[in-house]
Amino acid sequence: MSTFARDPWTEPPIGLLAELTHRCPLACPYCSNPIDLVRRERELSTADWLCVLDQAAELGVLQLHLSGGEPTLRSDLEAIVAHARKLEIYSNLITAGVGVSERRLEALAQAGLDHVQLSVQDIDPEGCDRIGGYRDALARKIAFARAVRRLGLPLTLNAVVHRHNLDRLEGFIDLALELDADRLEVAHVQYYGWALVNRAALMPTRGQLERSVAIVEEARARFGDRLLIDFVVPDYYARHPKPCTSGWGRAVIVVAPDGRVLPCHAAHVIPGLVFANVKDKPLRWIWQESPAFQRFRGFAWMQEPCRSCPRREIDFGGCRCQAMQLLGDPEATDPACSLSPHHTRIMAMADAEAAASPPTFRYRRLEPASSC
Amino acid sequence: MSVAAEDRLVLARGVRLRFDPVRNCHVLLAPERVLFPCPTSVAILERLREPRTLSDLARELASEFDAPEEEIAQDVAALMRDLIAQHVVRVERRAQ
Repeated sequence: MSTFARDPWTEPPIGLLAELTHRCPLACPYCSNPIDLVRRERELSTADWLCVLDQAAELGVLQLHLSGGEPTLRSDLEAIVAHARKLEIYSNLITAGVGVSERRLEALAQAGLDHVQLSVQDIDPEGCDRIGGYRDALARKIAFARAVRRLGLPLTLNAVVHRHNLDRLEGFIDLALELDADRLEVAHVQYYGWALVNRAALMPTRGQLERSVAIVEEARARFGDRLLIDFVVPDYYARHPKPCTSGWGRAVIVVAPDGRVLPCHAAHVIPGLVFANVKDKPLRWIWQESPAFQRFRGFAWMQEPCRSCPRREIDFGGCRCQAMQLLGDPEATDPACSLSPHHTRIMAMADAEAAASPPTFRYRRLEPASSC
Repeated sequence: MSVAAEDRLVLARGVRLRFDPVRNCHVLLAPERVLFPCPTSVAILERLREPRTLSDLARELASEFDAPEEEIAQDVAALMRDLIAQHVVRVERRAQ
């Protein structure tokens, strides 16, 4: 398998993350959606989305990630999936799997859906209800997963892990095997959006992290030929930062429910960036030329220690949004990097939060519109 | 994981091979992953849309590329082990 030898900063996007709606039956306190959620009235129409897909295919997008909120709340999801299939774009449904009937799933499969990613908040029914803020969620999710496999669709279980469910990680692996999942994502919470607000309530201890690494390694050795396990470590305890979105404006394009286009779903935290809307501008222009996508392409914007670091082409200085959120400077080295002068302080903060008793969750909710 | 000559191999669930006119090459689409196979891999992956044994593959490729079947069999087996480890190709255990 080879990758391209061309300039990576002029490549077309590989994946399009379509946040079809911010509406969601669940209220997970680590949701990556912005605090300021988009209301239904401002969501793109079906025609808008089909037009986005036409432009995305022409631009070179190969995979469509149908996300939200809960994408199945859009009654036009079948039409969107069918259009992606017509354009030969690979479609991936990212769902909470509650309130989706088998008939609906069958219609999506017939429309050409390629893959289903199902979130499981906890394998303990009470824990699952408590994290998602939704009653009897686990039983519904398991029934949904069985329906996915009955229809012959490939299945990924997505386990977002944190201090409240990490001690049951082996159970997530058992559940993935029992449900005949093809893939399990064990993803430590990334602290953006609602997760940042709830960081102290979610941060695991270093001991929990180390145990999770060992469990995943053992499971890979035992079940590796049946189950692919992807593992995302928590940034704050890392040595090197993650290559966020594989580089700014390099592989991923995000379309928010209202049509704004972002290089990353958290990019709105960076002040001064103006995100063009698909209702006003062609997707190609937004990707290739808009100032927001150009802002952190290449290496010229970097400060030291990134600018002269041999790892700059591996991790691109880490995450711009995290540098903004934790240091107030989107050009700084991501403090998740051990080479950042702020790394020790950030790690100490994580240790302190994990050691203290967890505060109560602030659940992700769309506040009712004020009537005035 | 070892692959026996008569194991039946096929693209894994959820894996699609297509030509991408924008990049002018074949792409292998899998859950949360996109791979860019080299032309030799493409010639093999195209055949794995339907189950094939290692022997089938070696015979077909030897005839297409006019090369010794034994040599090809070794190269194909190595590539298959790699693609199985990457969950792009899977082994169908039941014998034909």
